Amino acid sequence: MALTDADVQKQIKHMMAFIEQEANEKVEEIDARAEEEFNIEKGRLVQTQRVKIMEYYEKKEKQIEQHKKIQMSNLMNQARLKVLKARDDMIMDMLVEARQRLAAIAQDPARYSTLLEGLVLQGFYQLLEEKVIICCRQQDVEMVQTAVNKNIPIFKEAVKKNIVVKIDTNHFLPSSICGGVEMYNENGKIKVSNTLENRLELLAQQMMPEIRVSLFGANPNRKFTD
Amino acid sequence: MASQSQGIQQLLQAEKRAAEKVAEARKRKNRRLKQAKEEAQAEIEQYRLQRDKEFKTKEAAALGSHGNSAVEVDRDTAERMGRIQASYRGNRDVVLGDLLRRVCDIQPEFHANYRVAG
Repeated sequence: MALTDADVQKQIKHMMAFIEQEANEKVEEIDARAEEEFNIEKGRLVQTQRVKIMEYYEKKEKQIEQHKKIQMSNLMNQARLKVLKARDDMIMDMLVEARQRLAAIAQDPARYSTLLEGLVLQGFYQLLEEKVIICCRQQDVEMVQTAVNKNIPIFKEAVKKNIVVKIDTNHFLPSSICGGVEMYNENGKIKVSNTLENRLELLAQQMMPEIRVSLFGANPNRKFTD
Repeated sequence: MASQSQGIQQLLQAEKRAAEKVAEARKRKNRRLKQAKEEAQAEIEQYRLQRDKEFKTKEAAALGSHGNSAVEVDRDTAERMGRIQASYRGNRDVVLGDLLRRVCDIQPEFHANYRVAG
């Protein structure tokens, strides 16, 4: 027998319910997956960016540290240079006065003539030449001649060599210097510069470590003194 | 029969509704994923601001302490300068005298290796 209308209706209702239920389950499934994927995606994005930002700021913070150290180092360097320059200036100052005092000494005729004798003989010994030319200040010509005459025999005795000395009357040392002589060999190619200025300068240079220690005290950072 | 077509209509409608529900769900899912990006951006931005604030604090602190160390270095330098100046003033004359004495003390000698003839 065919199904009654009511039966058919019931069957249709069942089928409709079934369709609806399937749809709901599918929707639930979709929603759940949506939520899951949402969390994953959001977490992933946040994490990658976080890491980048963290690295960026860490680097910048390290730079600050470095920057600070560099500035500190610069400051200390400046300070040290300042102190060194001050020391240098003081030494220069002292040498300037030394020159002035030297000029005063050279004004004293007795002392100056002794000095000249020493300088001339020293010049002879440095050159060890048979023919010597001497340059001096114009005002010193006489004194130098006396010194030369005194020293020629001493030289001959000590070195057992003859020597002929000529004072250059065409060229003079400038009058502004403290004093002293310049001596040349015959062709002018060998020169001994025995002016008082030169002597002072040479001495100062050679004595510089000693001068520094006397003026400023020994260097506490120095470990080896031999 | 009329009732048959009615039943089929009902079924078709049910299917249609079901399909719509599923499509709706899928649209929701896409929207949600887009939301993920936006929310992630917002969180990231917040983190960045926080980090930035921390950094600025550290920067300001560093600058402050640098000013202090500059002052200290200057003080130290001034002290050292004072010390060397005092030492200089004290020892100057002695050193000057010594230097000039040596300038005037001339010891003429010829070279040690020079052979004096006969």
